[in-house]
Amino acid sequence: MLPDSTTIRNAAREAASELTRRPIKEGQRLVSSGLIDSLSVLKLISLLEKKLHVTIPPETLQPEDFDDLDLIVETVEKVAKPLA
Amino acid sequence: MPFNSLPYLVLLAVAVVLYWLLPAPFRRLFVLVASMAFYASWGIIFVWVPLAVAGLVYLISKQIAVDPAKPKSWLWLGVSSLLALLVFFKYRGFLALNLNLLAPLFGVPHFSVGGAIAFPMGISFYTFEAIGYLIDVRQGRVKMPKFLDLVLFFLFWPNILSGPIVRARELMPQLDFNKAFEGRFFFEGLDRVIWGLVQKVVIANVLGIWVDKGFAQTVTALPFTMDGWFLAIAFGLQIYFDFAGYTNMAIGTARLLGVTLPENFRQPYHAATPPEFWARWHMTLSRWIRDYLFFPINAKWQSASLPLYLSLLGVMALVGLWHGAGWNFILWGALHGSYLVLYRMYESWKPLLATGSNSQFARGIWRLLTLIGVACAWVVFRAPTMAKAGAILSSMFYRLSAGRAFGPGFYAFTSLVVLFCVVEPTVLQRLSAIEGRAGSTGPSPFRILVRPLAYLFGLLLFLLFDQNNAQFIYSQF
Repeated sequence: MLPDSTTIRNAAREAASELTRRPIKEGQRLVSSGLIDSLSVLKLISLLEKKLHVTIPPETLQPEDFDDLDLIVETVEKVAKPLA
Repeated sequence: MPFNSLPYLVLLAVAVVLYWLLPAPFRRLFVLVASMAFYASWGIIFVWVPLAVAGLVYLISKQIAVDPAKPKSWLWLGVSSLLALLVFFKYRGFLALNLNLLAPLFGVPHFSVGGAIAFPMGISFYTFEAIGYLIDVRQGRVKMPKFLDLVLFFLFWPNILSGPIVRARELMPQLDFNKAFEGRFFFEGLDRVIWGLVQKVVIANVLGIWVDKGFAQTVTALPFTMDGWFLAIAFGLQIYFDFAGYTNMAIGTARLLGVTLPENFRQPYHAATPPEFWARWHMTLSRWIRDYLFFPINAKWQSASLPLYLSLLGVMALVGLWHGAGWNFILWGALHGSYLVLYRMYESWKPLLATGSNSQFARGIWRLLTLIGVACAWVVFRAPTMAKAGAILSSMFYRLSAGRAFGPGFYAFTSLVVLFCVVEPTVLQRLSAIEGRAGSTGPSPFRILVRPLAYLFGLLLFLLFDQNNAQFIYSQF
């Protein structure tokens, strides 16, 4: 089963803070503001997979799907699959 | 009809007035007709090309939208057809030339591609928009539009010639043109149009006169060291102000119609690293490359080092090829790719190299290296032959010689433009602060007096400087 949206949001906030080494606020733009680049998005995906015990297939995703916490939650809920 | 011409400016004024006088339901048709007329002014015979692109994209996306779970074959068919069209118009001569060099090795006859044919303006830009559109349909990001929406999306005259390269999801929702008129559309649009004109005719075109002389193929002597550096810097400034000038005019034209196009530049020469340069230069192309090429490739390889470095080199060489059918463009792109690889290598070694105080020093070094690297790459981009590029680069680095071949005007003007680039962010900040204060209390001396005077001054500069009506550099791509 997929984690609930609060767990995903907390994991996303932690992962983004780890990558940027700064606290992440609600609504803060990550990709379009240049705070993280496309390679960091791939690292963010891999951190989320570890924290949430899910797989996130990135083939149909674009970096701006991870532009803020709301979008990350929405994207994870849409495409993530729980680890068997 | 180029943006930097008096007929365009007059027709733009007429079109904007008519547009806002028309009832909203008629504006779409008006913009469609105006866009077709604008594109036809570059060669009526080529109007079929964006129409064919729209038709092809419509048919393919219909197939994809019916059942997104279908194999990728429809997407590949669409992408390869679009690329074939681009290759036919833009690269067939270059391809034939290079294949003919190899032909004797394999004992095959020479290829013939017939005579040279003209080039549909903006094809590189709207082909990329079309490919992005198909991928977005496949990924379920855009809904199936009406055919007329697609025609309007590809033909929209403010950005058809040289971008910004827009995504369907940011432009299509605006193409119903049902906004009520607001004064800010007028001011924001005119600000960009007039400033774009000044950037083009007063800065880029003036620098272009010296740059053309310096890079002329007929000048075979090795340039002096100072001239080599000044030429590299002057072309870097010329192409920036030329393309940023065009982009400002495109964004401004759209804004006059109440439409917002994405930004393309954010003071690129203030970049502190090679990746930052690409986050500030031709931002909509960088975004396209990131979303549809670089990210999927590296997602597949889990951003492992070797595939990452190879993909950076390969993708940037393709970016170079996108600019033009020539080895100098490919080399320019590959050079930028190598800068990005070096920076990524440095980043992966940084934890071992840099701590506290020296990381500030390293940042300073990277800022300098980025500027030098970008300037050297511009020499390769602009030089008519590799020999010429080699001569200029060698004069810059190891065949040092004192002296100068240009009048003092060249060095003084180039230095002034460099100074302008340095202070530009501060100037913009101050202007925005003044505007903010003036705007908060309704009509103000700034709005009523300063702005119209600035517009008049800009137009006067355009009329004074626009001697040769030179084309925008990026309209050739």
